[in-house]
Amino acid sequence: MGSLTQLLQHPLELKSALVLKYYREPLFPGEESKIANSKDLKRCYELLKLTSRSFAAVIQELNPELRDAIMIFYLVLRALDTIEDDMTINPSVKVKLLNEFDEKLDLDDWSFDGNGPNEKDRDVLVDFPYILREYHNLKPEYQKVIKEITRKMGQGMVNYVLDESFNLNGVETIKDYDLYCHYVAGLVGDGLTQLIVLAGFGDENLYEASGDRELYESMGLFLQKTNIIRDYAEDLEDGRSFWPKEIWSLYVEKLPDLQKDKSNGLRCINHLVLNALTHVNDVLTYLASINEQSTFQFCSIPQVMAIATLSLLFNNEKVLVENVKIRKGETCYLILKSRTLKGCVEIFQYYLREIKSKLMVEDPNYLPLNIQIAKIEQFMEEMYQDKLPAGVRPNETEIYLKTQERTKSDEKMAITFKMEENNFLMVVSYFGIAVLAIAYYTLFFNK
Amino acid sequence: MSDISSVLLIGGAGFLGLHLVQQFSEVKPTPKISVFDVRPLPEKLSKQFSFDPSSIGFFKGDLTSAEDLEKAIKESGCNVVVHSASPMHGNSQEVYELVNVKGTRNIIDVSKKCGVKALVYTSSAGVIFNGQDVHNADESWPIPEIPMDGYNETKAIAEDMVLKANDPENGFVTIALRPAGIFGPGDRQLVPGLRAVAKLGQSKFQIGDNNNLFDWTYAGNVADSHVLGAQKLLDPATSDSVSGETFFITNDTPTYFWALARTVWKADGHVDKRVIVLKRPVAILAGYLSEFFSKLSGKEPGLTPFRVKIVCAYRYHNISKAKKLLGYSPQVDIEEGIRRTLAWMDEKLD
Repeated sequence: MGSLTQLLQHPLELKSALVLKYYREPLFPGEESKIANSKDLKRCYELLKLTSRSFAAVIQELNPELRDAIMIFYLVLRALDTIEDDMTINPSVKVKLLNEFDEKLDLDDWSFDGNGPNEKDRDVLVDFPYILREYHNLKPEYQKVIKEITRKMGQGMVNYVLDESFNLNGVETIKDYDLYCHYVAGLVGDGLTQLIVLAGFGDENLYEASGDRELYESMGLFLQKTNIIRDYAEDLEDGRSFWPKEIWSLYVEKLPDLQKDKSNGLRCINHLVLNALTHVNDVLTYLASINEQSTFQFCSIPQVMAIATLSLLFNNEKVLVENVKIRKGETCYLILKSRTLKGCVEIFQYYLREIKSKLMVEDPNYLPLNIQIAKIEQFMEEMYQDKLPAGVRPNETEIYLKTQERTKSDEKMAITFKMEENNFLMVVSYFGIAVLAIAYYTLFFNK
Repeated sequence: MSDISSVLLIGGAGFLGLHLVQQFSEVKPTPKISVFDVRPLPEKLSKQFSFDPSSIGFFKGDLTSAEDLEKAIKESGCNVVVHSASPMHGNSQEVYELVNVKGTRNIIDVSKKCGVKALVYTSSAGVIFNGQDVHNADESWPIPEIPMDGYNETKAIAEDMVLKANDPENGFVTIALRPAGIFGPGDRQLVPGLRAVAKLGQSKFQIGDNNNLFDWTYAGNVADSHVLGAQKLLDPATSDSVSGETFFITNDTPTYFWALARTVWKADGHVDKRVIVLKRPVAILAGYLSEFFSKLSGKEPGLTPFRVKIVCAYRYHNISKAKKLLGYSPQVDIEEGIRRTLAWMDEKLD
């Protein structure tokens, strides 16, 4: 179905798409010219757009204090990933490169032309000198974070390149699954969080360990696990898989069998969704800890996309054979709504209830899924505590206080929303008047 | 001296009572356990219990009689009294008054007089319920001025008496525990009620949108909280922080009402392919009609507006206080609890 037809069937999403494209108030107007005036910076942003359109858009919206640092961070990791992913590179060359990649950041000039001709992101490595120059323009403390994470990720990748069992059999246990996700996504969350805290855009305690795992770890894992569940069919076709055997072996003997055994396939997907949902309370806590608006949006957009995607994947047998994606218009709606914490909480609640409504009693995880979703709803209640009887004071728990603090920023955003809404309605009404005028004209003057 | 040397379980032959016997018998060093009840301990115990009934002291008596109680306390030599006697819902106001109010008064007075150190009272989460939704309530929620019903009203009065009797200076300390939705082997209401609904073929109906959260608590976990309450009361290091206090006790996993019901039915081998959802207002109307027609026909109505409101209400609690101060955490999860309850029902001991 074409996206226009889809939009027409979902008027709220059509409205969102229009507002997003034409009426959204930029947080930092006038920044584009600065980028255009610097040759290096301009090339870097071109590379960014080349590798990821959606990510480029979100990064460009960021507060100028962090924007370039995060852009460079992303490109460096993308470069690393482009080496790791390329099966045409000789393994020994690859291992050496991955191991030493962080040291390249100390050089003034370094590039790599050894990727295969079909590698779509090979330009990032060919044009690496642009990235290096901009990297050295960053604040030293930002450079340090980028370098540290690059080193850790490079070493993690080497472990997986050399791990024969992993390459042959994929991920064994849930613990291995979490560790794999840590290397490919948890570390990104680690670096981003360090940058955010250094810039003063989030609670200082965001970078401290709390409970079983750090909050930023959950931010990365929630996204990565969603992608891994979604990409089952595609990965299988490429001869790899990241679904942990500890879970899928409860349902079938061999992973590809899930494609034939639909009912066990669904159970397995749902089990993986249950596993991913254990990260949600951390995600909400993390979001409540971000006080700078552009950083908040940068963090919240991927998370709300993930919960929308999970809800689409849940109990959906299409996942077994193809790559399922949420509607474009839905994306627009989510981008606009996720600009406040309250909006994010409502999005999560909406999709959690969708998941609950698709859950079948026969599912072996029927009760555990219900309990996990309820746990998140209980947590949301604790965030706001807005259903207390008269005379009862809220419990001043950490999450409650964070939510209160963040709500102040939410309220500032409300003014922006009103403005966008008014601008949009004004144009819609002009448009309406114009249509009426034409109709009137046609009816009465053409007779 | 902070060990439970001897404990008297009032109402110890009842549903929760047997779980109390079980959990107290697992305490090390094992205390002397005695039961005070109007009915004897069951002759045949469910396989879900492992304690030896012959090791349990038994006193038959009426909890409103000072004489009966004094004899039991003195002969058992108990330093802890646990009061978990409670009439079933659906009794008359007179019975509630007698057991909950008069009985509790008597227990407090006689315990104090006989030098008992600690009194643990089984209250109910219902004491804060006034028909309105209860969202993640903690112990700071007030007792409603207009009580929901006679049962909850008398439970609240008794709880208040127990808390006011707390008197650390004179060596008598008390605590009130408020479990929500107790189920488990011996349960006469929750799980058997659901099984009956399935037998009547009514499980395919769902009333309300099923977004309302509910607490169920496994009886063994409730009993654990009583052991912890007694231990913390006796321990000089913790006594001050828990005495005279109330604690909600749940399984710490609030769940959607119908998810619990369907889990029971599924465990029983009954899965409905199609569910018919009755929206709350529709169901309330149906309740009125059902009540009206059953009055005409003289039969017990299946659906009443009151029942509809109960199954559509949010009623879940925040047990942070019990976790923090009592060190409580539920040891048996809901699914295991349901499994044990159904296994007990299948023993058909009655």
